[in-house]
Amino acid sequence: MSPKNNNKFTGYDFVKESAGIEEYTLVKNSLRVLVLEDHSAPVATFMVTYHVGSRNEAIGYTGSTHLLEHLMFKGSRNFNKEKNTAIWTELQNIGAQINATTWNDRTNYFEVVPSEHLDKAIAIEADRMRYAFLKDEDRQPEMTVVRNEFERGENSPFDVLDKNIWATAYQAHPYHHSTIGWRSDIENVSTERLKNFYDTYYWPNNATVTVIGDFNKKDALGSINKYFSEHSKSNEPIQPVYTDEPEQEGPRRIIVKRTGQTGIVGVAHKAPKGLHEDTYAFQVLAKILADGKTSRLNKLIIDEGLATSIFMYDFPFLDNGLFITYAFLTPGTDHKKIEEIIIKEYNNILENGVSDDEIKRAQAQIRAMVAFSRDGTYAVASALNEAIAIGDWTFYTNFMENINKVKVEKIKEVIKKHFTEDQSTTGWFIAKEPKD
Amino acid sequence: MSTFSSQVTTNDDIEGVKTYVMPTGAKDVVTISGSMLGGSVHCAKTNSKTAALVTSMLDKGTEKKDKYEISETLESVGAELSFSSTRYHTHFTGFCLKNNLGTVISLLSEQLMMPSFSSRELSTLQSRICGNLERDKENTKTLAMIHFLRTLFPSNHPNYRETVDDSISLVNKITKEDLFAFHKQQYGLGSIKIAAAGDINPEDFNGRMHESIRDWSSKKTEIPRLVEKAREPKEGNQIIKVQDKTSADLFIGQSIGIDREHKDYYALMLGVYILGGNFSARLMQTVRDKQGLTYGIGSSISGVSFGADGYWSIWGTFSPDIIKKGVASTKEQIDLWFNKGVTEDELSAKKTTISGSYKVSMDSTAGLAAKILSNAEQGRNLSYLDEYPKIIKSVSLSEVNRAIKKYVNPNKLYMVSAGTL
Repeated sequence: MSPKNNNKFTGYDFVKESAGIEEYTLVKNSLRVLVLEDHSAPVATFMVTYHVGSRNEAIGYTGSTHLLEHLMFKGSRNFNKEKNTAIWTELQNIGAQINATTWNDRTNYFEVVPSEHLDKAIAIEADRMRYAFLKDEDRQPEMTVVRNEFERGENSPFDVLDKNIWATAYQAHPYHHSTIGWRSDIENVSTERLKNFYDTYYWPNNATVTVIGDFNKKDALGSINKYFSEHSKSNEPIQPVYTDEPEQEGPRRIIVKRTGQTGIVGVAHKAPKGLHEDTYAFQVLAKILADGKTSRLNKLIIDEGLATSIFMYDFPFLDNGLFITYAFLTPGTDHKKIEEIIIKEYNNILENGVSDDEIKRAQAQIRAMVAFSRDGTYAVASALNEAIAIGDWTFYTNFMENINKVKVEKIKEVIKKHFTEDQSTTGWFIAKEPKD
Repeated sequence: MSTFSSQVTTNDDIEGVKTYVMPTGAKDVVTISGSMLGGSVHCAKTNSKTAALVTSMLDKGTEKKDKYEISETLESVGAELSFSSTRYHTHFTGFCLKNNLGTVISLLSEQLMMPSFSSRELSTLQSRICGNLERDKENTKTLAMIHFLRTLFPSNHPNYRETVDDSISLVNKITKEDLFAFHKQQYGLGSIKIAAAGDINPEDFNGRMHESIRDWSSKKTEIPRLVEKAREPKEGNQIIKVQDKTSADLFIGQSIGIDREHKDYYALMLGVYILGGNFSARLMQTVRDKQGLTYGIGSSISGVSFGADGYWSIWGTFSPDIIKKGVASTKEQIDLWFNKGVTEDELSAKKTTISGSYKVSMDSTAGLAAKILSNAEQGRNLSYLDEYPKIIKSVSLSEVNRAIKKYVNPNKLYMVSAGTL
């Protein structure tokens, strides 16, 4: 399908269009480019998503993707302290919002800028794609920065329990380890190994750039072409991750005990790959179970004063994931009781299904959520980033259409297929009394 | 670019309600942010938590609908309404698709005007709030901040904070009658300000809003006068021990004796911003980027609104093993900043940061509505939002460095850290 406007731009092949977003390929190096003009505000967001995340790591260098992300701010050929053009300074001095994040399947760098400064954001990202310094003298102080980030996470009972549930549910697949990595790997991974990681994955043919907002499309594509075309494709093909998680053959449990005040229960089941058709039913089910006061678990747990809050972990990933119900208990609440309520409700849905009204309500909630995911250039880029990560950016643009297809029978089918006891991993955080 | 103020339609046809509506290019979505006077400073002196519990009970039922009917109404159209309270205000925020604006406005007014305050719901809510407060007893940042503010301010100052145990005790004491009494005292026409942004027609919005609340009774309310200022700064160092924590939180700072309206405010704010306002500021560039001692450290001025004399503070996190190094490095930066001042280049860079941030903050309807409401709450004209970058631009280097010397005293800093130390 062709976009309404002219889609021929020097240096690009037009690929497709969906919901106003156009995809191009930069012919020189196969960089994928997504473009959406939106003149609502004098702002533009530029984002580079690398198709590398903690799933590309293994024992000894867990956390490398994230540590590398930090080092990417330490300077590159044209943007560095020596030239008085350090990345943070260049961008924050113009009022830009700037950051980067790493997760299981992707690493993204982004700038939200006053639109007249879009060119600068593009120049910076192109420069550090292949010319980041990655010096050992920078890694050493940054390692302790990242270690403190790890330590901050470890302060949170929820973070600790979540890491343990994933590590128990996934034994072979790299989702076993969290994105921040294990402490000893953060401390000991060498700069050489990080450079190797960079040289393996940071190439235009392993990245998608997204530009959303107040600009002229021809100018923006021209600028991307100008800066990114100096890079060639990777010398070697990007190798896929081939580790599959073996089938789970029985329920698993994990208990974490630490000094604390209140308990947490997490009940997890293996979920399919993000692009699997069942994903949409999982999204609807999560709303029915725990989104809003009329949701089932809210009535059974929160309204009874058994927990302070419930949180559904239902993020789709490139590979199989986890669907987790978390309950943050009120003082004195028994972990077992909460676990039983959650499982009983899953079984209730298996036996009796859900109602049409529940599905309609969940779809309405998701419809509004999707509309707000278009409220602002960063919101669009951010939502696209997650869709890119799981392997198809049109997952974002087609999401609502697929959600609308979910019917009562599908929810029952999904529960029956995925919510079996043998596929479960249950975690408890037990708060220990402080020592005197 | 057209001015901010020219894009906003204001209306005050109903006495005691002022609306600010800004249509944007956003498709289908509308964000509403509103407030009225009614925060912890308006509570009876014995229980500062009443305002917070009243707002938390607003979605638990009205005279016409129980909490499930309220939720059903919202969830069936994917809309959200939430309520909260601060020291000075009761806040309400709504997100909805444009076609559901009428439903949301109607429900919003019903929840604000006629809550039912059921005893059973109150009891469940108290249990939940206390559960969250119990969790605060292991939150190193919360514990350090509470101690810091209790040291800087007397108990009748808006910036003072209760201990976690005191908060639990106060929450548990509140009765249904307390809720009704506070609602009767504060909720009504008088100080209501509402900002709305997105795919919205000002006339339509005002018509619906007026229709919903025009019969509400009037309330004469104002922000209580400050009866006591902050304690005089004094040097101090407190360590709060929390077990099994791998990261510690640190606060350093002191009271400044001025509020946001003071002529020196902008100069001091810029000075503190240069010290630690963002990643390219001095603290992050040295203590984090160069020395690797922390994941995050920054500085800011807080507690200066509505006539309160506020404070400047630094907050950072450190591994317990290296917190001493972190403190030493942070103090070195404070001394350097105080003794040598900031440079023209630094000031110039921060001015362009603020000017650019102004545009970037217009990226979403939520950002716009919050910005407009905050400005209105401060009693400022809309034109202030256009003038702000110019005000910042007019501050001179000598004014900034003079303000740092005047309001900061490196010999009287109070420091508190919390963690496994």
